[in-house]
Formats: sequence, C-alpha cells, structure tokens
Amino acid sequence: MEERPWSGIVITVFSTASAVGKTLISINMAAELAKQSYRVCLVDLDLQFGDVCNYLRITPQKTIFDAQEAVRLDIDKFSTEEYITQYQQENVTFAVLASPLKMEEAYNISTEAVKKVLSRLQGEYDYIVLDTSSAFSDLNLAIMDLSTIITFVGIVDFIPTIKNMKIGYDTMRSIGYDRNKIRFVLNRSNSKTRIELQDVEQLLEEEFYHVLTNDFIAARDSIHTGIPLVLDQKKTVLGQDIQRLIAKYTNRLEDTEDSASGVSSWMKRLFK
Amino acid sequence: MEYRVVLIESNRIMLERLSSVIKNTKDCEMVSRYKNPHEALGQSGVFKPNLILLDIDETANMQFVPEFKQSFPQAAILCLSSQWNAQASSQAVQAGAKGYLIKPFTSDELLAAVETFGKNGMGMLSETLAFFSPKGKSGKTTLIANLAMALARKSGQPVGIIDADLQFGDMAVFFNLNPQSTIVEAVRDIKFLSPITLNSYFLPVADKVRVLCGTKRPEFAEYVDLKGFAELLRMAQSLFRYILIDIPPAFSPISVAAAEGATMVYLVAMVSGGFEIRHMQQALEIFKAWPDYAKRVKTVFTRVEPCDSASLGKIERELGYPVEAVLPNEYLLVSAAANNGRMAMDIKPDSPLAHNIDRLADKICGKKHIRWDKS
Repeated sequence: MEERPWSGIVITVFSTASAVGKTLISINMAAELAKQSYRVCLVDLDLQFGDVCNYLRITPQKTIFDAQEAVRLDIDKFSTEEYITQYQQENVTFAVLASPLKMEEAYNISTEAVKKVLSRLQGEYDYIVLDTSSAFSDLNLAIMDLSTIITFVGIVDFIPTIKNMKIGYDTMRSIGYDRNKIRFVLNRSNSKTRIELQDVEQLLEEEFYHVLTNDFIAARDSIHTGIPLVLDQKKTVLGQDIQRLIAKYTNRLEDTEDSASGVSSWMKRLFK
Repeated sequence: MEYRVVLIESNRIMLERLSSVIKNTKDCEMVSRYKNPHEALGQSGVFKPNLILLDIDETANMQFVPEFKQSFPQAAILCLSSQWNAQASSQAVQAGAKGYLIKPFTSDELLAAVETFGKNGMGMLSETLAFFSPKGKSGKTTLIANLAMALARKSGQPVGIIDADLQFGDMAVFFNLNPQSTIVEAVRDIKFLSPITLNSYFLPVADKVRVLCGTKRPEFAEYVDLKGFAELLRMAQSLFRYILIDIPPAFSPISVAAAEGATMVYLVAMVSGGFEIRHMQQALEIFKAWPDYAKRVKTVFTRVEPCDSASLGKIERELGYPVEAVLPNEYLLVSAAANNGRMAMDIKPDSPLAHNIDRLADKICGKKHIRWDKS
C-alpha cells in the first residue's frame, strides 16, 4: 500500500461500562464509512474478549498480536496487509485487525508496538475505528492519546453506570483531553429507566452529541446474521441513527434538525 | 465486671503498659498477670479468668495454648504479638486461641477484639468467594450484595464484602455509602494493621455484613499493590466467616490475585443473546491451569428467562461445564433498588431473584456442614 502524506482519522469507541454496545457501534461506524468509499480499518482492542470477528462472522488467520510481534521484530519488514482480515458484504468492504485468538497472547501485548501498528494504519487508511475494553488500561490511555475523536458510549440505566461515566469523563478531562475530542453518544435512549436524560447531562456538565434509539431486536438480529445494520437492505431506526452519527463525523450533515441547536450550543461553548 | 483478664507478658515494661490499659477498660478486670505461662497455668485458676491474653512473641509460648484451653475451657484465649503475622495467627487459632491482637493495644481495640472474636472466634473456617465476570456487566454486584445478606442470615456469622473492582467499583453506590477509607487505604496501611484495626475499614451495612469499598477514582487503582492486597485478604479471613470479593472484568494482575486467594471462584455472565457462553468457555480455559479447578470454579448465569432447570440444563450443555446457579431477569426491581442505594434491602424476599440467591446461599452454607461433620 502506498504511503500518503496525510494521516487517517482515528475514532476510538470507549465506555466505562461493559455491554453498552461499543462493538456494535464500532462495526456499524466502520461499515458506514466504508459504504461511503472511505478506506477503513476496524481494530479490535478488546484484547481478551473481543467480539468484532464474532459479530461479523469472520475467521481471522492473523491478529493484532501477530502484528505487534512483527513490529517488535523488525518494523521495516512489517506490512499491515499480512495481518488484516477483509470483511465484505456485497460491494462494501473494510479491513479488520482482529483481537488475539488466545488469552495468553492478549496478556502479552506491547502498548508501544500497538501504537506503531496504528500509526502505520493511519498512513494507509482514511479512518481507523478502534473498539476497546471498558477500563483505563495502559493501552486504552495510549490509544485515546492518539485518537482524533473519542466516542464515549453511555447508557442511562443504573445510578452506578452513570457514576462511572461521570468519573470516567472527569478522568479524561483531568488527563487533559479537549472536551471537543470526547463525544458522548447515548445508546438505548428509550430503555426502561426512571432516570431523566437531562439529569445525566447536568451531572456530566456535557450534552449528548448523539442519541441512538433503543432497538435490542435489530441489534440482536444483526449480531446473528453477521451483517451490520447500516448494510442491511432492511432499514432500521438504529442503523439510520448510526448513519446520522457518521454524517456528523464526516461533516456531511444536512442543515436540518440539528443545525439550530448545534449552532447555539456551539455558541454557548465558545463563550462559556 | 464482664471480663476477668489474665495477662502473660515477659517484658516488664510492656506488662505494665498493657496492665494499665486493661485496668482502664470498661467491663474489664485485671485479675492476675504473669511473666511466663508456667506461672499462669499453675496459679491463675483461683481467679476464674474468662479472658487470657498470651504473648506469643516469646515463640515458645505458642505451645501452651492447648494447655490453657484445657485448663480454662470457659476462657477465651487471645494471642498477643507486636506485629501481624498471618502464619503465627493461623497457628494460634489452630492451637485453640480465639484470636490475635497486636500489642500495645488500646482499650477500644481490646474491646473490639473481644467482641469480634469472642463469639465466633477467628476465621479458621473462613471462606473466600471471588466473583469474576470475564467481559463485565453481569449483575454480579447485585448478586454479591444480596448473597452476603443471605449468608449472614443463614450462618449467623460475620460476612465481609471486598470491592476489588479498582476502577469502577459500585459497592459504595449500591449501599449508599460515602466511605472515608477504601481498599486503597486498607492496602496502604496493611503493614500497620491487625484484624481488629482492619475491621474499622469495613463499613457496616447490615447486622453482620460489612463492606470494604472500592477506589473513589480510577487513577487510585495503581496504589493498590498486589502483595498488600493478598495480605489484606489473609487478614480479612480472620474477621469473617465468608468474604465475597467483587473482581474487575478481564484477566488482570488484581483479578488473578483475588481468584488465587479465594476458596471458590464464581464466574458470572449475563445472558444477552451474544457470545457470553463463548467468553465463559475462554475464561474457564484459563482456570484449567489449576489442578483443582473443577472443584474451585463455579459458573452463574444471570438474566436467564425462563429461569428454570430446563434453561440451566441447556446452558450447561452448550457450555460443557456445570452451572451452579441461574438468576432471573429482575431489571426494574434491581435498578430501582440500585438507584435508591438500597441494593440488598429493597429486593423483595419473595421475588424469584431473592429466592434463587437464597438457594445459592444454602448450597454455600450447606457444604460447610458436611465439612464439619468430617473433621
């Protein structure tokens, strides 16, 4: 793959709670970007229990473990192509760098080497989407550093979950990330809960950048068929919500619904 | 006077110092004191002591514990040492002492020791149950909180919860606590603690249930070193009949240390139509390194609908490993309780969730009776 002078955009999908839909969102983000003819690589950095390949029904031969080993051995001989697995659904295709196949491999991954792998991918792809585990690990902190945008996925169900979101956000702010780098995305907004969205926003002192509709059935079906929602012939509300999120990220958002509130909140931030 | 105390201490200055503390302690009477166990065994019978404090820094003294026990069957024996030593403590308890106290002690510490060890003795039979969910989100915090209550109720003995989910521990929120001391402080101070002083780091949440809360901020996690944590676990084992540890998701040094320090590991996963069984299999694969893993590692599935033996059997077949318990989906019940910070108290005792947790508690308690019969 030929080197390009500019580097790709890194979108990390992170959360402080498990089972909030990080993997599903990562996959659909990657698929939607690929559908728009961007060159996309999805990297599964939930090293121990990564589900990207499970969800996509693909069987990788090589993984991030092999890639970072190769980098450690001799970075000059390292070529990303050897380690990626292609996902294809009709005419849409994107690259996947899988999580390790064995637990002991997951345990022995060098953060420095992963950074080098990612940096190489940035030279070759327009977008790199990173699916993560829910912890402030060395690796996660390192990739958040190099991310263009952190998609912070939250759900509003239990008080403890919200407490962890708040603590996580405060931690990221204390590390020094711009608030602009962190985008709150609320998943399952209509799920049964007694907690009001506004209360959460007040606690976080931040608005949700995007809200995804609760559609457990669609999500489950997509996991079972291995076809991302955004690539499914059957339109789902959740799939369309993710498409709109990508539209925001790629600056293609038509000046409709969101523009009024968008501008005003942007103004508010500017003068805060 | 409730306690008639006999003190055995070879160091003259320490003897004076401890005597004065005992004399000034409410409900305590210093009936006699000796520099060595021979004198005490020969003479103190006339004073009818019910509490014997025996210094074991004089290592030879340890061997007299059974003799004291025989000569004074109505008395509790507490061993004294200038520093905590898990091995000496367990030897003392095996020899028949009720507990272990660091000297010099204060009046409060003496009373706390008598109260804590007096009734049940130190946890020679302590069992540590570690709860681990490989990929997170499993409902294990709910399970732990309610199981602790059930175990305390059934056994009538003290139960401790340790929130070792260092980055995002939820116990404090679940019980609506605002702890001054957490696992961070406990591990930091462990070298200077004894079981009695460690007990104060655990906050009471119900009769006989105490909680050591997790870190307040994720960055504090790095202050919890593994050696200190293992020591904390050993010391806590002398305080509680059952210890329930909430372990963070994924294999990490802390989760491995907690699992290794435990008598029993419960792998907990929530059924969500995804790949939870595969993750459970991957996790079990790691535990197979233990020669006794089939006995020590149990699995629990939550949000099982319908929650019956047919579902349990189905999961077992798919998993290829026994399933210890299945818990039903009680989302609204649990979320309301969690949001009110009354996790373990608000779950209705007649709900299917409470019922199934109760059954698990029965299994845990019942197993112990069998062990007692054998010994």
